[in-house]
Amino acid sequence: MASIQSALTDADWMKLSADLSSQIGELRARAVVLDLTLMDVMDSFATRVLRTLAQTVTLRGAQTILVGIQPDVAIAMVQLGLAQRLDGILTALNLEHGLDMAEALV
Amino acid sequence: MKLDTLTISEDEVISRKDFLEFRDDDLKALVDAHEMAQTYAEPVIEDFYQYLLSFSHGRSFFQDPVVLARVKQAQKNYFLDLTRGDYGPEYVKNRLRIGAVHQRIGLPFQTYLGMYNWYLRNVANRFFEAYADNPGHALKLLLSLTKLVFFDVGLAMEVYLRTIEEQQEAIKELSTPVLQLREGLLILPIVGALNSARARQLTEQLLRAIASRRAKMVVMDVTGVPAVDSKVANHLVQTVAASRLMGATVIVTGLTPEVAQALVAIGVDLSSVKTAGDLQSGIEEAELLLGYRVVKVETAP
Repeated sequence: MASIQSALTDADWMKLSADLSSQIGELRARAVVLDLTLMDVMDSFATRVLRTLAQTVTLRGAQTILVGIQPDVAIAMVQLGLAQRLDGILTALNLEHGLDMAEALV
Repeated sequence: MKLDTLTISEDEVISRKDFLEFRDDDLKALVDAHEMAQTYAEPVIEDFYQYLLSFSHGRSFFQDPVVLARVKQAQKNYFLDLTRGDYGPEYVKNRLRIGAVHQRIGLPFQTYLGMYNWYLRNVANRFFEAYADNPGHALKLLLSLTKLVFFDVGLAMEVYLRTIEEQQEAIKELSTPVLQLREGLLILPIVGALNSARARQLTEQLLRAIASRRAKMVVMDVTGVPAVDSKVANHLVQTVAASRLMGATVIVTGLTPEVAQALVAIGVDLSSVKTAGDLQSGIEEAELLLGYRVVKVETAP
């Protein structure tokens, strides 16, 4: 599980991405839950990183679940056309729902 | 339309008068005509109601003789107000009030304008009669009066426009309830035409409800939406996508055969949207996905 703080720089995103994909192997993880509750802005770069991350995770044999996207962020993402890029990634309302979902996968 | 909410700031009044170029000499010309106005106020008002009552729609508004007498008195007061020279806050308030009264009895704005036009024409004749030896002055006086009348018409129009806005607000609030049917299942019945503003408000309301009610499924029923064009369909797709980002699945129900055909014909891609024929099957599917099983209780006959 990873919780993402409100302001991540582009470099932070890249590091998170690298860390996660290596840890999936070490921990033999089947699901990655990314908590985005604290994020109040979601730009195209962050969306792209999430997508690449999800694809990498899939290749490593696990599933990504995004949780805690806020209403305003969701609206903004849809209006910017970023939502389609996350097609195929699982989503859940909050951490609790996301963990339930992850348990069902494991 | 509540009267106490109906105000126009002093700055706005000044800027409107300024735009009409209503200046001190206009005011003076009107005040000078006050004496003349007093002499013909009565006959003009009488003529005015005779004219008004000669039309069937005019008659329909002033059937009651008591009302008619009161309206005539009010009209006479207004008539004299026009040349009284005091066009301050009290005057503005009165104009707004009169506008609100006309709006409330359902007088069409066209009739309102027609009445003003008749009044201007009638008074113009009287001006030129009174100043037969000096038509230049009559014209100047008429132009000053026209400025003031346009100012008044603007105030009356304000009432009509604000009423329309208020009604639109009310309709917007009324028509987007988000209802919880079961734990984790919301129903969103959409009734009435969708435009961009309403669709955006609807999306926000739904997303907030998803967060607060911890919903996993939403059944959106569009049976009550008269027409679904590409714009509206796009809004629906966006609402569905935004809900998905928050972890809720949306099932759209109630797309009538005509609407479905129209959507296919204009080439809207709804493949990313889950649909069900009617509200019932949408709810059944949602219950199934949430793990509910509805069982009929067998009661002894």
